[in-house]
Amino acid sequence: MSNNTNALEIVDLRAGYDASDVLLGISLHVGLRERVGLFGPNGHGKTTLLNTISHVIGPRAGSIRFMGEAIDALASQKIVARGLIHVPQANRLFPDMEIMETLELAAFTPRAQKELKTNLECVLSLFPRLAERRRQQCKTLSGGERQMLSIGVGLMCAPRMLMLDEPTLGLSPKLKDELAEAIAEISSRGIPLLLVEQDIAFVLSLVDRMYLVDHGEISREINRGAEVDHQDIMDMYFGSERA
Amino acid sequence: MTSDILSAIIVSGIVLGSGYALMASGLSLVWSTLGIFNFAHGVLMTLGAYLAWTVSDAAGLDFGLATGIAVSIAAMVGVGILIERVVVRPFYDHRDILLITVMTTLAAMIVIQKGIQLIWGARLKQLAPIMPGNVRLLQTTISAQEALIIVLAPLVLCALWLFLGRSRIGRAIRAVGQNPSAARLIGIDVSLIFIIAFAVSAVLAGLTGVLLGSVRLLTPEFGAEPLVKALIIVIFGGLGSLSGTILAAYIIGLLEATLVFLVGIYWAPSLIFVLLIFVLILRPQGLLGKVVR
Ligand SMILES: Nc1ncnc2c1ncn2[C@@H]1O[C@H](COP(=O)(O)OP(=O)(O)OP(=O)(O)O)[C@@H](O)[C@H]1O
Ligand SMILES: [Mg+2]
Repeated sequence: MSNNTNALEIVDLRAGYDASDVLLGISLHVGLRERVGLFGPNGHGKTTLLNTISHVIGPRAGSIRFMGEAIDALASQKIVARGLIHVPQANRLFPDMEIMETLELAAFTPRAQKELKTNLECVLSLFPRLAERRRQQCKTLSGGERQMLSIGVGLMCAPRMLMLDEPTLGLSPKLKDELAEAIAEISSRGIPLLLVEQDIAFVLSLVDRMYLVDHGEISREINRGAEVDHQDIMDMYFGSERA
Repeated sequence: MTSDILSAIIVSGIVLGSGYALMASGLSLVWSTLGIFNFAHGVLMTLGAYLAWTVSDAAGLDFGLATGIAVSIAAMVGVGILIERVVVRPFYDHRDILLITVMTTLAAMIVIQKGIQLIWGARLKQLAPIMPGNVRLLQTTISAQEALIIVLAPLVLCALWLFLGRSRIGRAIRAVGQNPSAARLIGIDVSLIFIIAFAVSAVLAGLTGVLLGSVRLLTPEFGAEPLVKALIIVIFGGLGSLSGTILAAYIIGLLEATLVFLVGIYWAPSLIFVLLIFVLILRPQGLLGKVVR
């Protein structure tokens, strides 16, 4: 049954690498205009989940629907063509390409090519620093600039939904704020968002709802406004003696 | 050294370098896109020349040289795709793809070479030149065909350079070479790009074969020595750098011509190797290569 109230709908998804199972049955959904966070300790499968959704690795069981249609059997490039864009964690992009060349190339699918001009303007106004450095090669960019370019590349793909994997990894508080603003601006245009983050304050400032990931499963769902039980989060990080 | 000897060396060095550049750029393209060496690259050159010969020569189908070249180039697209499919694609996800494909592409080389021997026999053949006659260049006389190679090689390489630098597919090829998973996430079909890289590379090999097939004699081993030279050139130029490859091709061409004059054809090849070993000791990354890949 297609369900048009959700951009993304995942049911009982399992995936992993070779002999190891990482995702042990994940179910979640992201509404059509919703911003959803994904929070959890290192190594508990957040990146693996995004990789499975974008079909960098194949799912072992379960279903993934995007805009009401099953995408779990589609190759990555087909998923991108439909507008589900995954901005990967710590993307080093294309080391020998210049910023401008990278952005132009990122508008690769026919749909993205049609939107190239408007999306490029949007990216350059969102991140003026990229505009100043248009001829600089990716490999020489600072961590913050690379993160901006990475998100910019995602926008050039003409997203109908964005999945960002730790966009502020290793950035200073000031840069984090800058990126938070940019991300808020993007989602204010009606692009649904799935945001993976380690910085709890950062996620909460940006999302409507949040899932806690624990050992390849969703352990809690937290709504905005609801009292955030910091104890839960502490437990996830430091272990819990409670039943 | 009198000036006409010098110009003879330079001209013959440039002729050699042009052939090497065409040959090595295809090898380099596959290396920088897939991270493998295609040892069948030399035999593709041989195959291209034989196909053109069969279609064009009076002893074959006698359709004329233009048709022969066109058919051969078109066939190379298919052969490139076939090689990728059969001996490379099954090993993409393998950790040791580089080593495995050394084996499988060597196997493809041997099979194709034996096939050529079986089909065309060991008797020497020669393609008709695209341009007959001789021309004078810098006080030396060379065949018009060699002059054509000197002119054509830079044009083809420029076209390749523009293709990789400016066109959408060309940029996608470079993107896949630099970061396949990031390329996949912007919607590039990585396996299609691998196929295209192989096809372009095979066309370059076939073109080299067609051009050199009227300057040298065709044997089933026609492409063996150019393959070795091209390998050296790609390493010497710096792995993954097309401009390095092209620069290295001309340097090695000129070096070879000089050494042939100085020490004769017998010792020149070994001396080139010795010199290259010294260069690589001083500059392990090659002329324009990156320090790590
Ligand atoms: N390519 C891979 N091959 C094998 N195992 C992997 C691979 N990638 C990740 N893993 C393993 O899968 C598990 C989940 O990793 P994943 O990257 O999804 O975690 P994460 O939640 O994104 O962590 P982080 O917050 O550190 O980014 C880890 O145990 C990791 O070692
Ligand atoms: Mg991660």
